[in-house]
Amino acid sequence: MTKTSVLDHASEHREPASPREPVLSIQKGSKIYGGVHAIEGVDFDLYTGEVHALVGENGAGKSTLCKAIAGAIRLTSGSYCVDGGPVDFQSPRDALTSGICMVYQETSLVPTMTAAQNIELGNEKLITRFRTLNIAAQQLLQSLNFHVDPATPVALLGSAKRQMVEIARAIYNRARIIIFDEPTASLTPEEILHFFNLVRDLRARGVAIIYISHALEESLQISDRITVLRDGKLVVTARTADMTREKLVRYMVGRDITQTYYGRHRGPDDTHHAREKVLTVENVTMGAMVKNMSFSVYAGEVVGIAGLIGSGRSEIAKIIFGALKRNLINGGMIYLRGRPIRYRVPKQAINDGICYITEDRKQNGFFETMRIDDNIYVSRLATRRGFRLLLSRATRSRLANYWVERLNIAALQRKARIVELSGGNQQKVVIAKSLVQEPSIIIFDEPTRGVDVGTIPQIHAQIRKLADEGKAVLVISSYLPEILAVSDRILVARLGRIVAEFDAATATEHKIMYAAIH
Amino acid sequence: MTTVTTSKGGAPVPFRGLSRLSQEQMVGIMVLVLLIVFSLALPGFATLSNLLGLVRSISILGILGLGMGLIVISRGIDLSEVAIMAGSWCVALIANRHGVPALWTAVLALAIALVIGAINGLAVAFMEVPALFVTLATTFVVYGVAYWIAPVYVVYAPQGEAALLFAGRGALFGIPMPIFVFAAAALLVYAFLSRTSIGRFIYAQGDNPEAARFSGIALRPMIMLEHSLVAALAWLAGLVWIGQTGSMQMTIVQGTQIFDVILVVVLGGISLVGGRGGVFSVVVGCALIGTLLNAFTIMDVNSEVQNIIRGLVLLGAIILDNWLHPRDDETARQGD
Repeated sequence: MTKTSVLDHASEHREPASPREPVLSIQKGSKIYGGVHAIEGVDFDLYTGEVHALVGENGAGKSTLCKAIAGAIRLTSGSYCVDGGPVDFQSPRDALTSGICMVYQETSLVPTMTAAQNIELGNEKLITRFRTLNIAAQQLLQSLNFHVDPATPVALLGSAKRQMVEIARAIYNRARIIIFDEPTASLTPEEILHFFNLVRDLRARGVAIIYISHALEESLQISDRITVLRDGKLVVTARTADMTREKLVRYMVGRDITQTYYGRHRGPDDTHHAREKVLTVENVTMGAMVKNMSFSVYAGEVVGIAGLIGSGRSEIAKIIFGALKRNLINGGMIYLRGRPIRYRVPKQAINDGICYITEDRKQNGFFETMRIDDNIYVSRLATRRGFRLLLSRATRSRLANYWVERLNIAALQRKARIVELSGGNQQKVVIAKSLVQEPSIIIFDEPTRGVDVGTIPQIHAQIRKLADEGKAVLVISSYLPEILAVSDRILVARLGRIVAEFDAATATEHKIMYAAIH
Repeated sequence: MTTVTTSKGGAPVPFRGLSRLSQEQMVGIMVLVLLIVFSLALPGFATLSNLLGLVRSISILGILGLGMGLIVISRGIDLSEVAIMAGSWCVALIANRHGVPALWTAVLALAIALVIGAINGLAVAFMEVPALFVTLATTFVVYGVAYWIAPVYVVYAPQGEAALLFAGRGALFGIPMPIFVFAAAALLVYAFLSRTSIGRFIYAQGDNPEAARFSGIALRPMIMLEHSLVAALAWLAGLVWIGQTGSMQMTIVQGTQIFDVILVVVLGGISLVGGRGGVFSVVVGCALIGTLLNAFTIMDVNSEVQNIIRGLVLLGAIILDNWLHPRDDETARQGD
């Protein structure tokens, strides 16, 4: 999820394009994978100079629809017209020739090549003069108002600039239709603002834009029309001006979801000072990422850590967990129930009852070749108390049953492979993998990133339940509504320091954001 | 690689029935088909003595393959396996000539093998040098040092030491010992990989080392253990080798034996990306290569052609796997 909820002031909605011919239209589009409809009978159209947002839960069919549009897959049935004429793209290359370009979530740039080379990628002449290439790229980048040096290798560019290079490449390929897949996922709020200006600029140039995002606020802010998909079917296409967040969520999930604020319901006598101080972080320093960070966590409370990317919030969690090491000299101290700790490997932290639930589950959250029950069981075996040399099927299925039940993991069978699950269910398995180790301190890093809207409240309820059981919980999130929803106490990190602390009852998004940025 | 029967997504796959089979099952079927074809087509193939000879001929390769398979599953590799086998036994046999008794010769060889394995493990785990380079370097060092200690190309095993040679030369109930040794090793490694938690950790490490670390698995001891196990299996293969050939030669280190070992491992579906395949993969990989080589020997195909076919079989297996189990971004991005 994202940080744009504070950026609502920039909302603007234009009238959708006049009743012209749509530049792109799909009628009764269906795609069947192995007997299952990924999308079914979807109508979709797009006009020149329009930003058309596509929203829906994971697995709703957004990606499938866009891949069909971009020529990466072919529709099983239905008609697909560009400029009024039917087309049948065999490959993304064909779509590109027709001016349709997809900018992927995981950027598709070659890191070792320069920006200019990447822009030209796929259109190289036999012999390229770097000077000519750089000048051409420079002109293009300037005309788009991008401040990117064409001779810089892409690896050295930040994610915002990489995205600019991707967009420049799309323009270079004369794209008239650009599909953005989660474009803001790795951008900071300022960069998102800049990106929005850029999208508006593209729109003014007559480019038609399809915008996929998990962040509903963003879609509401930037788009002219919104299409909601659910379970592969079209729910509604409407003018953004007629939409609200609540309506969108209702369309996406098919039912009302109310935001519960757990932290605010606690009485004033229930403050943390009466509780045991479990974890104390004192002046912890690691390189340039974490500088003199100090805070404490008490049993039975949820502490939220808000902050931008690069504020050191994930790093401090990994230092506590032993996955990163603080400076050996002047690195500060970490105390676990008064005992100083310095872990070399996460195993030691886990044996002391600390667990860290990763922000990037694909990177380091689970074992993709293993089944759900094996994933959970291996974590249990890796603890000191849970270790036994010979595997026990009974223990494995007991643990799997318990956690599938408790976290409400929607798996038809415990033996399903984890990659077959939706993002929300994968996240629940990752949570189960940590909770099965019976921790007393639990650190959630972006607990609901890439998780479908319907599952988010369930995860929040689980976080609350852990604190009510007396465990100390840290929640790191970029998504302020989440921080506000689950926390009893909110810390704000900026540039490697904790710069503010709020009580849940008094905190607001604006206060937190102000502390995080200024 | 296991089959992905997807609910949503997953590119359309040719021959849906076939694609449900894992690579090891496909290779297994291929072996059965070849056995039937060769039995019908080649006189003298389907005799008991020929089939026993077939299994006997692949048992050394198989034992080496078990070690390589184990470490490849953990996303590592050990190119020095053959060097460990040759080096440890060459030095031990020299010691044997100088009067060390048979038992102690074997113990000495095992000790040398384990030391080399431990050095590999230390370098990979603690100095964080890629296993490929470490074990390649070890290969040269072991070759050099062993040749320095025993400056002869072929070290003959003492013909009088029946105990030392029994594993390679002996027979039980008319079945050659190497088959028993291979079967026992395969069963042990199978039990280790599939029935113990450490075995699960090896799969976890191979699947995703970072996730394994975050789950609380200590990777460094695991790497040490894996390299030591490879060394121990190399030692066992050497024990069979000296019985079968009556000697140990350092020159095999410079041969292509190590590639054969990697071939049978990869052929059976133990992917180099780690976490996939198992003991059965090694067994069917060996069976396929053994069957082909045996048939070629009967057909009197010369060794150049045999090499060409060996290479083509490997390529074919990999292409078939890619074709039947496409790993496009649709499967990779599942659950997004």
